[in-house]
Amino acid sequence: MLSPKDSPRGKLMSQYVLARVVRMDNIDIGLFDYDRNNTLYFFLLNGDEEIYMRYGGRDATGPDAYLNLASLEIALERGLELHRKKQAGEWKPPARPSPDFAKNYPLLVERTIARNQCVECHLIGDFQNQHRELDGTLDKLKHLYRSPDIKTIGIQLDVPKGLAIKEAKGAAAAAGMKPGDRIAAVDGTPVWTFADLQHRYDQVERKAERVRFTVDRDGKPVDLDIALAPRWWLSDIRYKQLTIDPRPYFESRPLDAAAKAKLGLDPAGFASEVRHVDMFAQVMKSNELKVGDIVTAVDGTVKDEMADTPELYIKLRRKAGDSVTVDVIRDGKRMRMPVKTFRMSFRK
Amino acid sequence: MHFRIAIAAAFLTAAATAQEDGLHWLDSYKTAIEEARKTGKPLFLEFRCEP
Repeated sequence: MLSPKDSPRGKLMSQYVLARVVRMDNIDIGLFDYDRNNTLYFFLLNGDEEIYMRYGGRDATGPDAYLNLASLEIALERGLELHRKKQAGEWKPPARPSPDFAKNYPLLVERTIARNQCVECHLIGDFQNQHRELDGTLDKLKHLYRSPDIKTIGIQLDVPKGLAIKEAKGAAAAAGMKPGDRIAAVDGTPVWTFADLQHRYDQVERKAERVRFTVDRDGKPVDLDIALAPRWWLSDIRYKQLTIDPRPYFESRPLDAAAKAKLGLDPAGFASEVRHVDMFAQVMKSNELKVGDIVTAVDGTVKDEMADTPELYIKLRRKAGDSVTVDVIRDGKRMRMPVKTFRMSFRK
Repeated sequence: MHFRIAIAAAFLTAAATAQEDGLHWLDSYKTAIEEARKTGKPLFLEFRCEP
């Protein structure tokens, strides 16, 4: 048994109304917005549907990267504290987002509700993106690269201790973050759990150059102004179920300035050396690239404001299923070849 | 690695063991909100894929 009623966690949980939802048909998905690529996700709220905090979240490491029974216990305690403050009139609820429901997405209705099939979390996220693609509101920096990885700015959490910092490196360390700090707010919004942090961090504008973290250090708040590198939002999304993700089945590494100069390539271009070709490239007849090839252009384009590799350019600027032509240097010879991207389908 | 798998499994099987724990889980959001309003308790809400 995970949480016997008379155990510390059981005693905490027994102070809550506990509910488990597997069908999203009538749930306000505007209020309960989260990255639907989580296997499990929790909300702590009150009977007025005011959310205290979230619990869950994950990254490419695995679905359990931030799930931990000790940190769950911390969240349950904090939830009770906030609830007591709410009852005492000392807690201000966040603004309620616009309501939204699964029935607002015709493709989702057609594929699930009309067939009396389960409206699953990941289907909601995927069909939302497909509708955004259809109506021209898809922002790939935000919707394809949802839930940026905090490790890219050097934050390593001591997971059992919630938002306590285990190790700070890179931009976080340069801003003054230290082991033992506890993250308390992002750009002024309080965060209590990793899920809160990930959700709030995801709302940072992708073109932002800085983000303000407030940490609790020895009981005092300390503001840290963290520099965001270009493509700070770029993280491994291969574990996600994203129909809108054009998969080119190769990976490359940007050439350095000297290599570009030697080949006479644009110094600001995304020319890159192919480091890996997925086995699916051959199986699906996606491309005939080889490890060591230098890809210098996609459909004649050599540079992009956001992309530093040709595959990122393809992901950001093309639709899943599109075919492109890439310029390649192989063994000193210049050639041109097609790359067909694939549009995945994750329907049951 | 085995520990991490065990943690994930522990969370994933929380549902199955909840009743054994003596904790009462509702499966209706509407009922849960009504219960939270009636009792004044906060709500711990889990979203998960259908097993």
